[in-house]
Amino acid sequence: MVMNDPLRREEKKDPTPDRKESGPSSPNVERPGRDDILKRMKRVDPKQSENYKQRTGQ
Amino acid sequence: MRNRIYGIETEYGLLIKDNEFKLDPVEAAIRIKDHIFKTSRLGVLDQHYRANDEPPENGGFLLNAGRIYLDMGHLEYASPECFTLTDLVTYDRAGDTLIQDAVEELGWRDSIGIIKNNVDLETNATFGCHENYLVGRGFPFDERENLKLLSAFLVTRQIYCGAGRIGACNPHPFRDWEGNFVEEAEANVDFQISQRADHIPNEFYRWVQYNRSIVNTRDEPLADPSKYRRIHLLVGDSNMSEFATAMKMGTTTLMLELMEQDIANPDWILAESVETMRAISRDQEFKWELVLRNGRHTTALELQIDMMQTARKHLAGMNRETDWIIHEWDSVLNDLSKGPEALIGRVDWATKYWMLSEFRKEENLDWHDPWLKSLDLEYHNINKNSGLYWSLEGTGEAVRKTNDGAIEYAKTIPPRGTRADGRGELVKTLVDVNSESLYLIDWIGFRFGRNEAPFLMLDPFISYKEEIRNYLQNMEKHGGQESTPYKGTY
Repeated sequence: MVMNDPLRREEKKDPTPDRKESGPSSPNVERPGRDDILKRMKRVDPKQSENYKQRTGQ
Repeated sequence: MRNRIYGIETEYGLLIKDNEFKLDPVEAAIRIKDHIFKTSRLGVLDQHYRANDEPPENGGFLLNAGRIYLDMGHLEYASPECFTLTDLVTYDRAGDTLIQDAVEELGWRDSIGIIKNNVDLETNATFGCHENYLVGRGFPFDERENLKLLSAFLVTRQIYCGAGRIGACNPHPFRDWEGNFVEEAEANVDFQISQRADHIPNEFYRWVQYNRSIVNTRDEPLADPSKYRRIHLLVGDSNMSEFATAMKMGTTTLMLELMEQDIANPDWILAESVETMRAISRDQEFKWELVLRNGRHTTALELQIDMMQTARKHLAGMNRETDWIIHEWDSVLNDLSKGPEALIGRVDWATKYWMLSEFRKEENLDWHDPWLKSLDLEYHNINKNSGLYWSLEGTGEAVRKTNDGAIEYAKTIPPRGTRADGRGELVKTLVDVNSESLYLIDWIGFRFGRNEAPFLMLDPFISYKEEIRNYLQNMEKHGGQESTPYKGTY
């Protein structure tokens, strides 16, 4: 598989992350598709979860 | 590693979005199933009782050799037997597509949503995504130490396989009629990384509903039992990310390989598994701390790194698929320490967490706002026009393991390299004939007519395609009440 994830390529330049850290930090990454995703999210019915009403399965 | 066959079963949720819609979710699921088999003719419905709750026409086998059926009110798709991870992901996505196609052909695109998740966030009903791994009968699955090793792996793999969810549900442990039972106070959990962790109250058990376990020990090989065993796991979440599906099944098969070669390290065994799984899932700081049986304190990330490095040391170079798994396992573990943003498009919980966090900031919402539950559901909607996950495929941020052309092909053509190929040939013949054929098809074979000998497909590594083709031609050539597949009496 061809990997195009730019984050992974960046990771190769920094191969020694401190794995002793307790939990991940939160880098401030501005994502190009953020605004479109938020637009899609705003279209979701805020109450649709109440209509889900599923049975327990396996 | 070419002694493995993969399969995946997905139970879908069904959300009624239109208040004027006349059917309830179960009625809608039945209509979708019937549309696939009776209108689109993409497979053949069962003519026999498979179980008390699976009457004739409850489901059937598809042209791609998988199955679609109703299970406890849920639409369920079982992939055909797949020889590679790429096939597995492709056929998993083909199942999604077959169902969404039916929804759209029925004119229900905006009326309902097919939700590929595992929990109803309002009622906490849960439903599964089951993984299947074919192993040799000699696989050391009856040894408790090995079960505990597999448990340690499954408890910790959720850090990159989990689909994430808002809130929590206190599980209801199995209890007999006279047992005293005290409900735990509801924990205050904003977000957790696994959908299923709250619903698994046992470490080992053979049953699948209510008393689910981390390691399901049921022995139902669906193949020659003297040669094979099927490891059937129900602890995992349904993944939207192709990468996550491939990693979930890929890393698990490497762990099975380590167990089979007696390389897995007993020091990986956890002091306790069920509570640890829940604690890792619910950890709001993503530290994922745990205690091993040997008393050492570590983290899920450290333990997974040790497992990955052991796999790399002993299994690297076996074949391209193994090398891909090891490379990506290393990569995703590295990136876990960088935060959720570094995992977007590969790890479902992290992708969802980032989306919900951005939306909270934008709308100034509390984690407990009902809108977030609705967005959580929408992440899993398989409708590409509305489901939140698909926005990442649109921008190219979702790391893929297959492509749309392959998925389209996989809707009607079985995978090669397993008995699915032969089963697909059988189903295609029955669909093409379009007569009142009388048949009984199951994973391990088929038969026609009441007195006809069954055609057994006990070795999942054999395609049986030519044999089935010859068998069908011979039956047609010789005709007769009991020997023809097209006019027999069942």
